[in-house]
Amino acid sequence: MAGASACITAYIVNMLGILSLWLYAAVLVLSFPVFIIGLFLWWMAEEGKEDIPFIGY
Amino acid sequence: MIAQLILATFTGLLLLGIHRKVIARIQRRPGPPVWQEILHMLKFSFKSTWIPATASTVLFSGVVLVAIGIWTAAFFVMLTGGSLLVIFGIYMLHKIVEHGFGLSSGSPYGKFGGVRSVISAASEIPLFVSVAAIAIFTRSFDISDIIAYQTVHGPLMFIAFPAAVAMYIVILSKMPFGPFSIVESKELVSGYKTEHFGIWRAGLEVCNGLKTTVLLATFLMVFVGQLPILWLGAGMLLLVVSLSFACALTPMLSPFDSVTVQTLVTGLMLCYGAVLFIGVRA
Repeated sequence: MAGASACITAYIVNMLGILSLWLYAAVLVLSFPVFIIGLFLWWMAEEGKEDIPFIGY
Repeated sequence: MIAQLILATFTGLLLLGIHRKVIARIQRRPGPPVWQEILHMLKFSFKSTWIPATASTVLFSGVVLVAIGIWTAAFFVMLTGGSLLVIFGIYMLHKIVEHGFGLSSGSPYGKFGGVRSVISAASEIPLFVSVAAIAIFTRSFDISDIIAYQTVHGPLMFIAFPAAVAMYIVILSKMPFGPFSIVESKELVSGYKTEHFGIWRAGLEVCNGLKTTVLLATFLMVFVGQLPILWLGAGMLLLVVSLSFACALTPMLSPFDSVTVQTLVTGLMLCYGAVLFIGVRA
Protein backbone atom coordinates (compact mmCIF):
# COMPACT_ATOMS: atom_id res chain seq x y z
CA MET A 1 0.00 0.00 0.00
CA ALA A 2 2.85 2.37 0.90
CA GLY A 3 4.57 1.66 -2.42
CA ALA A 4 1.39 2.22 -4.42
CA SER A 5 0.58 5.41 -2.47
CA ALA A 6 4.10 6.76 -3.06
CA CYS A 7 3.92 5.95 -6.81
CA ILE A 8 0.52 7.58 -7.28
CA THR A 9 1.30 10.61 -5.07
CA ALA A 10 4.58 11.19 -6.93
CA TYR A 11 2.73 10.90 -10.27
CA ILE A 12 0.07 13.47 -9.26
CA VAL A 13 2.59 15.88 -7.72
CA ASN A 14 4.76 15.60 -10.86
CA MET A 15 1.72 16.27 -13.06
CA LEU A 16 0.97 19.41 -11.00
CA GLY A 17 4.55 20.55 -11.63
CA ILE A 18 5.52 20.59 -7.95
CA LEU A 19 7.90 17.61 -8.12
CA SER A 20 10.82 17.71 -10.59
CA LEU A 21 11.17 14.88 -13.12
CA TRP A 22 14.34 13.49 -11.53
CA LEU A 23 12.83 13.49 -8.03
CA TYR A 24 9.77 11.76 -9.45
CA ALA A 25 12.07 9.16 -11.02
CA ALA A 26 13.90 8.67 -7.71
CA VAL A 27 10.59 8.13 -5.88
CA LEU A 28 9.48 5.64 -8.55
CA VAL A 29 12.76 3.69 -8.45
CA LEU A 30 12.33 3.27 -4.69
CA SER A 31 8.58 2.74 -4.53
CA PHE A 32 7.82 0.70 -7.67
CA PRO A 33 9.63 -2.46 -6.42
CA VAL A 34 7.93 -2.07 -3.00
CA PHE A 35 4.58 -1.71 -4.77
CA ILE A 36 5.15 -4.86 -6.87
CA ILE A 37 6.37 -7.05 -4.01
CA GLY A 38 3.69 -5.61 -1.68
CA LEU A 39 1.01 -6.44 -4.25
CA PHE A 40 2.32 -10.00 -4.62
CA LEU A 41 2.54 -10.43 -0.83
CA TRP A 42 -1.05 -9.21 -0.54
CA TRP A 43 -2.56 -11.65 -3.03
CA MET A 44 -0.28 -14.67 -2.60
CA ALA A 45 -1.88 -17.90 -1.32
CA GLU A 46 -0.31 -18.12 2.13
CA GLU A 47 2.99 -17.94 3.93
CA GLY A 48 4.45 -21.46 4.17
CA LYS A 49 6.75 -22.85 6.83
CA GLU A 50 10.43 -22.24 6.14
CA ASP A 51 12.40 -25.29 5.01
CA ILE A 52 16.01 -26.30 4.45
CA PRO A 53 16.81 -26.60 0.73
CA PHE A 54 19.35 -29.04 -0.69
CA ILE A 55 22.68 -27.80 0.62
CA GLY A 56 25.03 -30.38 -0.83
CA TYR A 57 26.13 -33.91 -0.13
CA MET B 1 5.36 6.62 -16.15
CA ILE B 2 3.78 3.95 -13.90
CA ALA B 3 1.56 2.76 -16.77
CA GLN B 4 4.61 2.77 -19.08
CA LEU B 5 6.58 0.72 -16.54
CA ILE B 6 3.82 -1.88 -16.34
CA LEU B 7 3.41 -1.90 -20.12
CA ALA B 8 7.19 -2.32 -20.55
CA THR B 9 7.18 -5.25 -18.10
CA PHE B 10 4.37 -7.03 -19.95
CA THR B 11 5.96 -6.26 -23.34
CA GLY B 12 9.28 -7.72 -22.21
CA LEU B 13 7.59 -10.85 -20.85
CA LEU B 14 5.60 -11.25 -24.07
CA LEU B 15 8.82 -10.95 -26.09
CA LEU B 16 10.44 -13.60 -23.88
CA GLY B 17 7.39 -15.80 -24.53
CA ILE B 18 7.77 -15.26 -28.28
CA HIS B 19 11.48 -16.11 -27.88
CA ARG B 20 10.57 -19.47 -26.31
CA LYS B 21 7.91 -20.15 -28.96
CA VAL B 22 10.25 -19.42 -31.89
CA ILE B 23 13.01 -21.60 -30.39
CA ALA B 24 10.49 -24.43 -29.94
CA ARG B 25 9.19 -24.14 -33.52
CA ILE B 26 12.76 -24.15 -34.92
CA GLN B 27 13.40 -27.31 -32.91
CA ARG B 28 10.10 -28.81 -34.19
CA ARG B 29 8.40 -28.72 -30.80
CA PRO B 30 4.96 -27.12 -30.25
CA GLY B 31 6.38 -24.92 -27.47
CA PRO B 32 4.45 -22.94 -24.86
CA PRO B 33 1.95 -20.21 -25.77
CA VAL B 34 3.57 -16.81 -26.37
CA TRP B 35 2.05 -15.38 -23.16
CA GLN B 36 3.62 -18.17 -21.07
CA GLU B 37 6.12 -15.83 -19.36
CA ILE B 38 3.29 -13.50 -18.31
CA LEU B 39 1.41 -16.50 -16.92
CA HIS B 40 4.61 -17.59 -15.14
CA MET B 41 4.90 -14.22 -13.43
CA LEU B 42 1.23 -14.26 -12.35
CA LYS B 43 1.36 -17.93 -11.32
CA PHE B 44 4.41 -17.43 -9.10
CA SER B 45 2.87 -14.33 -7.52
CA PHE B 46 -0.15 -16.35 -6.31
CA LYS B 47 1.85 -19.24 -4.85
CA SER B 48 2.50 -19.71 -1.15
CA THR B 49 5.92 -18.32 -0.31
CA TRP B 50 8.52 -18.42 2.41
CA ILE B 51 12.21 -17.79 2.90
CA PRO B 52 14.40 -20.93 3.19
CA ALA B 53 15.91 -21.59 6.63
CA THR B 54 19.42 -21.47 5.15
CA ALA B 55 18.92 -18.07 3.48
CA SER B 56 20.03 -14.63 4.55
CA THR B 57 16.56 -13.10 5.02
CA VAL B 58 17.50 -9.50 4.22
CA LEU B 59 19.60 -10.32 1.14
CA PHE B 60 17.17 -13.00 -0.11
CA SER B 61 14.20 -10.61 -0.23
CA GLY B 62 16.07 -7.30 -0.64
CA VAL B 63 17.86 -8.39 -3.80
CA VAL B 64 14.48 -8.78 -5.56
CA LEU B 65 13.61 -5.17 -4.73
CA VAL B 66 17.03 -4.04 -5.97
CA ALA B 67 16.61 -6.04 -9.20
CA ILE B 68 13.30 -4.33 -10.02
CA GLY B 69 14.58 -0.94 -8.84
CA ILE B 70 17.69 -0.83 -11.02
CA TRP B 71 15.80 -1.73 -14.20
CA THR B 72 13.11 0.83 -13.32
CA ALA B 73 15.95 3.37 -13.23
CA ALA B 74 17.34 2.06 -16.55
CA PHE B 75 13.90 2.34 -18.13
CA PHE B 76 13.66 5.94 -16.96
CA VAL B 77 17.15 6.77 -18.29
CA MET B 78 16.27 5.24 -21.67
CA LEU B 79 12.92 7.03 -21.83
CA THR B 80 14.45 10.44 -21.09
CA GLY B 81 17.35 9.93 -23.53
CA GLY B 82 19.87 9.89 -20.68
CA SER B 83 23.44 8.68 -20.68
CA LEU B 84 24.39 5.27 -22.04
CA LEU B 85 27.02 5.18 -19.27
CA VAL B 86 24.25 4.94 -16.66
CA ILE B 87 22.79 1.95 -18.52
CA PHE B 88 26.31 0.39 -18.59
CA GLY B 89 26.46 0.94 -14.82
CA ILE B 90 23.03 -0.61 -14.28
CA TYR B 91 24.03 -3.59 -16.40
CA MET B 92 27.05 -4.01 -14.12
CA LEU B 93 24.81 -3.72 -11.05
CA HIS B 94 22.60 -6.43 -12.51
CA LYS B 95 25.55 -8.83 -12.52
CA ILE B 96 26.09 -8.04 -8.83
CA VAL B 97 22.37 -8.59 -8.23
CA GLU B 98 22.57 -12.02 -9.93
CA HIS B 99 25.49 -12.81 -7.64
CA GLY B 100 23.39 -11.69 -4.64
CA PHE B 101 20.50 -13.89 -5.75
CA GLY B 102 22.80 -16.90 -5.92
CA LEU B 103 24.62 -16.35 -2.64
CA SER B 104 21.61 -15.38 -0.51
CA SER B 105 19.84 -18.74 -0.55
CA GLY B 106 22.48 -21.07 0.88
CA SER B 107 21.90 -23.55 -1.95
CA PRO B 108 24.96 -24.79 -3.90
CA TYR B 109 23.05 -24.48 -7.20
CA GLY B 110 22.36 -20.82 -6.48
CA LYS B 111 25.96 -20.27 -5.39
CA PHE B 112 27.35 -21.80 -8.59
CA GLY B 113 24.94 -19.63 -10.60
CA GLY B 114 26.17 -16.58 -8.68
CA VAL B 115 29.80 -17.50 -9.26
CA ARG B 116 29.15 -17.99 -12.99
CA SER B 117 27.49 -14.59 -13.01
CA VAL B 118 30.77 -13.06 -11.83
CA ILE B 119 32.75 -15.08 -14.38
CA SER B 120 30.48 -13.88 -17.19
CA ALA B 121 30.57 -10.30 -15.86
CA ALA B 122 34.31 -10.31 -16.53
CA SER B 123 33.65 -10.68 -20.25
CA GLU B 124 30.15 -9.22 -20.74
CA ILE B 125 30.81 -5.84 -19.16
CA PRO B 126 33.94 -5.04 -21.24
CA LEU B 127 31.92 -6.17 -24.27
CA PHE B 128 29.13 -3.77 -23.38
CA VAL B 129 31.58 -0.94 -22.73
CA SER B 130 33.15 -1.54 -26.14
CA VAL B 131 29.89 -0.18 -27.57
CA ALA B 132 31.29 3.14 -26.37
CA ALA B 133 33.22 3.20 -29.68
CA ILE B 134 30.13 4.93 -31.07
CA ALA B 135 31.03 7.98 -28.94
CA ILE B 136 33.94 8.55 -31.36
CA PHE B 137 31.27 9.38 -33.94
CA THR B 138 28.62 11.02 -31.79
CA ARG B 139 30.96 12.83 -29.31
CA SER B 140 28.42 12.04 -26.60
CA PHE B 141 27.13 9.16 -24.51
CA ASP B 142 23.63 10.62 -24.19
CA ILE B 143 21.01 8.54 -25.99
CA SER B 144 19.25 11.76 -27.07
CA ASP B 145 22.49 13.00 -28.72
CA ILE B 146 23.08 9.60 -30.34
CA ILE B 147 19.54 9.73 -31.79
CA ALA B 148 20.12 13.31 -33.01
CA TYR B 149 23.38 12.20 -34.71
CA GLN B 150 21.52 9.43 -36.54
CA THR B 151 18.82 11.82 -37.71
CA VAL B 152 21.54 13.67 -39.65
CA HIS B 153 24.00 10.89 -40.58
CA GLY B 154 21.83 7.76 -40.77
CA PRO B 155 21.70 4.66 -38.55
CA LEU B 156 24.84 3.83 -36.59
CA MET B 157 24.19 0.18 -37.40
CA PHE B 158 25.75 0.88 -40.82
CA ILE B 159 28.30 3.46 -39.64
CA ALA B 160 29.59 1.43 -36.67
CA PHE B 161 28.56 -2.12 -37.54
CA PRO B 162 31.10 -3.90 -35.24
CA ALA B 163 29.75 -1.94 -32.25
CA ALA B 164 26.23 -3.12 -33.15
CA VAL B 165 27.53 -6.71 -33.24
CA ALA B 166 29.09 -6.27 -29.77
CA MET B 167 25.82 -4.95 -28.33
CA TYR B 168 23.92 -7.77 -30.07
CA ILE B 169 26.17 -10.31 -28.34
CA VAL B 170 25.50 -8.58 -25.00
CA ILE B 171 21.74 -8.97 -25.55
CA LEU B 172 22.24 -12.56 -26.74
CA SER B 173 24.12 -13.21 -23.48
CA LYS B 174 21.10 -12.07 -21.49
CA MET B 175 18.54 -14.13 -23.43
CA PRO B 176 17.46 -17.46 -21.93
CA PHE B 177 18.66 -20.66 -23.68
CA GLY B 178 21.44 -18.78 -25.50
CA PRO B 179 25.02 -19.95 -26.08
CA PHE B 180 26.27 -17.61 -23.33
CA SER B 181 23.46 -18.22 -20.78
CA ILE B 182 25.80 -20.03 -18.41
CA VAL B 183 24.26 -18.51 -15.27
CA GLU B 184 20.98 -20.33 -15.90
CA SER B 185 22.48 -23.56 -17.15
CA LYS B 186 20.34 -26.64 -16.53
CA GLU B 187 23.10 -28.58 -14.74
CA LEU B 188 22.63 -25.93 -12.01
CA VAL B 189 18.82 -26.49 -11.98
CA SER B 190 17.89 -22.82 -12.53
CA GLY B 191 21.26 -21.31 -11.62
CA TYR B 192 21.22 -18.21 -9.42
CA LYS B 193 17.41 -18.21 -9.16
CA THR B 194 17.00 -21.85 -8.09
CA GLU B 195 15.78 -21.11 -4.54
CA HIS B 196 13.82 -17.96 -5.36
CA PHE B 197 10.27 -19.24 -5.76
CA GLY B 198 6.76 -17.86 -5.25
CA ILE B 199 6.55 -14.07 -5.08
CA TRP B 200 10.35 -13.72 -5.16
CA ARG B 201 10.45 -15.46 -8.56
CA ALA B 202 7.47 -13.36 -9.71
CA GLY B 203 9.48 -10.25 -8.76
CA LEU B 204 12.43 -11.60 -10.72
CA GLU B 205 10.15 -12.14 -13.72
CA VAL B 206 9.08 -8.47 -13.48
CA CYS B 207 12.78 -7.54 -13.52
CA ASN B 208 13.37 -9.81 -16.55
CA GLY B 209 10.48 -8.23 -18.44
CA LEU B 210 11.75 -4.71 -17.79
CA LYS B 211 15.35 -5.70 -18.59
CA THR B 212 14.39 -7.27 -21.92
CA THR B 213 12.42 -4.20 -22.98
CA VAL B 214 15.18 -1.81 -21.92
CA LEU B 215 18.00 -3.72 -23.64
CA LEU B 216 16.11 -4.25 -26.92
CA ALA B 217 14.76 -0.69 -27.08
CA THR B 218 18.20 0.75 -26.19
CA PHE B 219 19.78 -1.29 -28.99
CA LEU B 220 17.29 0.10 -31.50
CA MET B 221 17.64 3.69 -30.25
CA VAL B 222 21.45 3.55 -30.29
CA PHE B 223 21.87 1.77 -33.63
CA VAL B 224 18.75 2.61 -35.63
CA GLY B 225 17.55 5.90 -34.15
CA GLN B 226 14.24 7.32 -33.02
CA LEU B 227 11.36 5.13 -34.18
CA PRO B 228 7.58 5.56 -33.88
CA ILE B 229 6.19 3.27 -31.18
CA LEU B 230 4.79 0.70 -33.65
CA TRP B 231 8.08 0.50 -35.55
CA LEU B 232 9.92 0.21 -32.26
CA GLY B 233 7.68 -2.74 -31.36
CA ALA B 234 8.24 -4.32 -34.79
CA GLY B 235 12.00 -3.78 -34.45
CA MET B 236 12.05 -5.40 -31.01
CA LEU B 237 10.06 -8.35 -32.36
CA LEU B 238 12.45 -8.75 -35.29
CA LEU B 239 15.42 -8.57 -32.93
CA VAL B 240 13.91 -11.22 -30.64
CA VAL B 241 13.20 -13.57 -33.56
CA SER B 242 16.80 -13.24 -34.77
CA LEU B 243 18.06 -13.89 -31.22
CA SER B 244 15.78 -16.94 -31.01
CA PHE B 245 17.40 -18.35 -34.15
CA ALA B 246 20.84 -17.79 -32.63
CA CYS B 247 19.74 -19.48 -29.39
CA ALA B 248 17.96 -22.40 -31.09
CA LEU B 249 20.80 -23.24 -33.47
CA THR B 250 23.78 -22.99 -31.12
CA PRO B 251 24.53 -25.19 -28.11
CA MET B 252 25.22 -23.62 -24.72
CA LEU B 253 28.94 -23.09 -24.39
CA SER B 254 30.88 -24.21 -21.35
CA PRO B 255 31.62 -21.31 -18.96
CA PHE B 256 35.24 -20.97 -20.06
CA ASP B 257 34.38 -21.13 -23.77
CA SER B 258 31.64 -18.56 -23.24
CA VAL B 259 34.06 -16.14 -21.56
CA THR B 260 36.73 -16.83 -24.21
CA VAL B 261 34.42 -16.07 -27.14
CA GLN B 262 33.13 -12.88 -25.50
CA THR B 263 36.67 -11.77 -24.63
CA LEU B 264 37.83 -12.40 -28.21
CA VAL B 265 34.99 -10.20 -29.51
CA THR B 266 35.96 -7.54 -26.95
CA GLY B 267 39.56 -7.74 -28.23
CA LEU B 268 38.36 -7.25 -31.81
CA MET B 269 36.24 -4.31 -30.63
CA LEU B 270 39.28 -2.74 -28.96
CA CYS B 271 41.20 -3.01 -32.26
CA TYR B 272 38.19 -1.47 -34.05
CA GLY B 273 38.03 1.35 -31.48
CA ALA B 274 41.79 1.99 -31.85
CA VAL B 275 41.51 2.15 -35.65
CA LEU B 276 38.58 4.56 -35.35
CA PHE B 277 40.43 6.72 -32.83
CA ILE B 278 43.58 6.90 -34.99
CA GLY B 279 41.38 7.68 -38.01
CA VAL B 280 39.71 10.56 -36.19
CA ARG B 281 43.06 11.97 -34.91
CA ALA B 282 44.74 11.72 -38.35
